[in-house]
Amino acid sequence: MDAFFAGLAAVSDPQILFLVFAGTVLGIVVGALPGISGSTTTALLLPLTITMTPNAAIAFLGSIYCAANFGGSITAILINTPGDPSASATAFDGYPLAKRGEAGRALGMSAVASAIGGIFSVIVLIVAAPLLARLAYQFGPPEYFALALFGLSMVAAVGGDSPVKNLMAAASGVLLATIGLDLTTGVERFTFGIDALSDGLGFIPVLVGLFAIAELLERAAQRGVVQEYIKLHSVKLPSLADFRKSAKAISLSSVIGTFIGVLPALGATTAALICYNETKRWSKHKEEFGKGAIEGVAGPEAANNAAVGGAMVPTLALGIPGSTTTAIILAGLMVQGVRPGPHLFNEQPTLLYVVFGSMLVANLLYLVLGLGVAKLFARIALIPEAFLWPAVFILSVVGAYAPNQSMEDVGIMLFFGVVGFLFRRYGFSPAPLIMGLVLGKMVEETLKQSLLIFDQDWLQFFTRPVVVVLFVITVVGLLAPTLVRAWRRLGRVPARNGV
Amino acid sequence: MRLTDVVVAGVALCGCAVAFWLTYRFATMPAAMVSGLGAEVFPRLVIGVIAFLAVLALFGIGNPPMETPAPVPPMVWMTAAVLLAFVGAVQLVGMWPSAIIFLIGLGLLWGERSLWKLTASALALCAVLYGLFVRVLGGNFPKGLIANFWS
Repeated sequence: MDAFFAGLAAVSDPQILFLVFAGTVLGIVVGALPGISGSTTTALLLPLTITMTPNAAIAFLGSIYCAANFGGSITAILINTPGDPSASATAFDGYPLAKRGEAGRALGMSAVASAIGGIFSVIVLIVAAPLLARLAYQFGPPEYFALALFGLSMVAAVGGDSPVKNLMAAASGVLLATIGLDLTTGVERFTFGIDALSDGLGFIPVLVGLFAIAELLERAAQRGVVQEYIKLHSVKLPSLADFRKSAKAISLSSVIGTFIGVLPALGATTAALICYNETKRWSKHKEEFGKGAIEGVAGPEAANNAAVGGAMVPTLALGIPGSTTTAIILAGLMVQGVRPGPHLFNEQPTLLYVVFGSMLVANLLYLVLGLGVAKLFARIALIPEAFLWPAVFILSVVGAYAPNQSMEDVGIMLFFGVVGFLFRRYGFSPAPLIMGLVLGKMVEETLKQSLLIFDQDWLQFFTRPVVVVLFVITVVGLLAPTLVRAWRRLGRVPARNGV
Repeated sequence: MRLTDVVVAGVALCGCAVAFWLTYRFATMPAAMVSGLGAEVFPRLVIGVIAFLAVLALFGIGNPPMETPAPVPPMVWMTAAVLLAFVGAVQLVGMWPSAIIFLIGLGLLWGERSLWKLTASALALCAVLYGLFVRVLGGNFPKGLIANFWS
């Protein structure tokens, strides 16, 4: 309870409050733009935080993260194009509702369900993060090494349809993290004599390239797709009947969404899709789903916003990102010289209170903004791509250049833009690469420290119970998709033979 | 073996071979100064993991079948060329004039026909970014060879 009030006190600072407001508005605006996800928004706006204090930066980024998920639902409902991938499940019933002339009702439910899910998850964050941190305080380098490997393996196991490609991307991210000076020996690695690479690959150009530039090239490939825009008259608060109908969906999705968010690498999109299915499974009106069920909007919206607070739990308590966006926030904090982990709870409690407070306020703010001025935000979806994407490129160039005032960073951004584009074409996801890049240093440092502790005896890893448990979960997680597929195939063979 | 898997695995294995060769070009430290893993060991471990995964990908293990992607549309090549031209223009005429030309040029390429709308939006965006990054945050953007030559 103390942390809750400390959080509110921390955000009562006018500067922080202004940044939370600005972050919430920017999050909704950019989140509502089709194609610009919460991750891209955070990556694009990351350079702005360079000049801020860590507290201000985390308040700004946290608010963007909360609001972008809600912003994504606006275009999902009005033009059947989720502004954020996490809103894709919202479109299943939100768009049919809008086509029936009930866009205001769908957006109203989206705002309320999002806020409830978001606030619930922040409360869980306030309670769970310190507990997890207290547990993690007992961890040494071997446990952190195992934990980082577990985080990376989760990306592969559940982050997409291609586990091997996901693992390749994650390992490539780890390899990219080795660029620069080796801290123990002072030897330069993969720098090609470029001074700018001595300190390692800058997070900002890589993030902006992989997300914004790759998406720009993707959009160039899809030129000419025309979307139907549905007019919005006004946003309505959910009626008592709607609320009663959706209460179960909201509460169930808030709990499941938060839990999924806590698991490393599983983010809001997975939470929303799982909760859409769960909402449908537990609903008394299954036949309405896909045709404009209000529960079909409430469930995924509560879930994707609940996953936001959940994803912050491992990010703050362990320094292991809970989602792609939290990986970017983590990168932003590392640029500021802050390394999240259990020590943060003793050394910089104010930073944590700011996170708690800003996320709570952001959830309340977008509820008010969503109900009050969603009509205005909805117009953002009308910006033609010929204006929007060139502007995104210029913003990307300025953002990549500004922190170090270096055109080399712009070159790196363009290079990773092409890498991101090729990744998508060949079935790779950029998220594991980011996870690998962010966790790479931690993996190497903790491995080296562990081996020093163990006197270079690798087998000593298996003498630590927590490490063994994490290794087992990692191996099971890695093998699970293959085993499940093999099991399904085995199940199918007799059926075919039987026919 | 599918063609896409062969391409993906081939590119990854070539990348691994180059990266592995590069680890031999790291400066060597006297053995007495190295305690624990040397600078090249961890990158080599990771390269080994990527190579192993690439071999799995080559045989389609752990990845669902994937169609060969359609050829890259000409618009992507043209857009990429405009992006590169922008970087070249920055060196020549500086950040802000290049940005204005780029915003108008790519807008026209992407099908917008209203030149005045493009110009107005380009000027407005550059004014906002200039105000924020140069005036407020004190950034220093490239002025270009022409401006440097002039001054």
